[in-house]
Amino acid sequence: MNTNQRGWISRNRWILVLIAIPVLAVTWWEFRPEKLFINQKVNEAAPFAASGEPQPIYTGVLEGKAHPTSGRATVYQSPDGKNFLRLSDFATSNGPDVHVVLLKPDEKALGGVAIAGEMDMVELGSLKGNQGDQNYDLPATADLNKYQTVAIYCERFHVIFGISQLEKF
Amino acid sequence: MVRGWNMALAVAGLAVLSAVPSATLAQDKMQSDSMKKDDAMQDSMKQDSMKHEDMAPDKNAKALLTGTFHGKVHSTSGRATVYQGADGKKILRLTHFKTSNGPDVHVILVATKDAKDDANFISGNVERIELGKLKGNEGDQNYELPENIDLGKFQTVSIYCERFNANFGAAPLAKF
Repeated sequence: MNTNQRGWISRNRWILVLIAIPVLAVTWWEFRPEKLFINQKVNEAAPFAASGEPQPIYTGVLEGKAHPTSGRATVYQSPDGKNFLRLSDFATSNGPDVHVVLLKPDEKALGGVAIAGEMDMVELGSLKGNQGDQNYDLPATADLNKYQTVAIYCERFHVIFGISQLEKF
Repeated sequence: MVRGWNMALAVAGLAVLSAVPSATLAQDKMQSDSMKKDDAMQDSMKQDSMKHEDMAPDKNAKALLTGTFHGKVHSTSGRATVYQGADGKKILRLTHFKTSNGPDVHVILVATKDAKDDANFISGNVERIELGKLKGNEGDQNYELPENIDLGKFQTVSIYCERFNANFGAAPLAKF
């Protein structure tokens, strides 16, 4: 039986090869396995010139924590290298002594109650308005690789109204 | 007489209450030196008219929508942003983009709020708009959007493998 089979294969070797070639070709074309290892890199320019206007470098959507909060937080870089945070389409609830701060994404206060003096934060100033577009200067020392969470923080009651996780633009 | 005083107090109280604004509104301008910006823009307009032929890039393109990619089956990351030029043309731009390479991969917009990492679009009968073949599995790239596209309906960008009907990654778009 075994020798018979081997004999059949060797007798029809060329037919088998002729069948195998297109089968392999089609399988290769279907799966293109070499693409698992080969990358195709591109680097198209933006469809517009980076002119003298501030360019967004980080952005994130605002979400409510203790109070409903919505809008977008974006960090812009001015041509002179200065960064500022802009809140747009912004709305949160009004409250006493509300501040805009930057936190680290792993800040404990984000998971529960903020404790006075124990939060590692970058203060950007008092919230200018609980609705509307507004800008806040970022200190040159603020490390945006570490402080990537924008928080609307009520200093008086140590409550975080809302946050936004910044991601690269 | 006492009644008169009570009335006066009530009126004063009402006046104070109505003076307290229920919401404080802020409306900052994009730039404090917007005057300077205007000047600069006039300059660039002059420049444009000087060299009209070499298709000066659109300097007034605005970001309308943006979102980040998620994709676990074929790890996909980066950002998708829809820009609109001053001429009204819309462009989808992928930045910091990375996905796995594959056969017959396309960029499409789907009429959903988001797409699951293993979403199957044809069987799901979801409306979609073809933007073209994926130019590269890594790097920044632009795709023209058709005119009259309803971006309120087609809210998700998908990196879609046509041959296997597989969603490599998706980016739900939100207002910028």
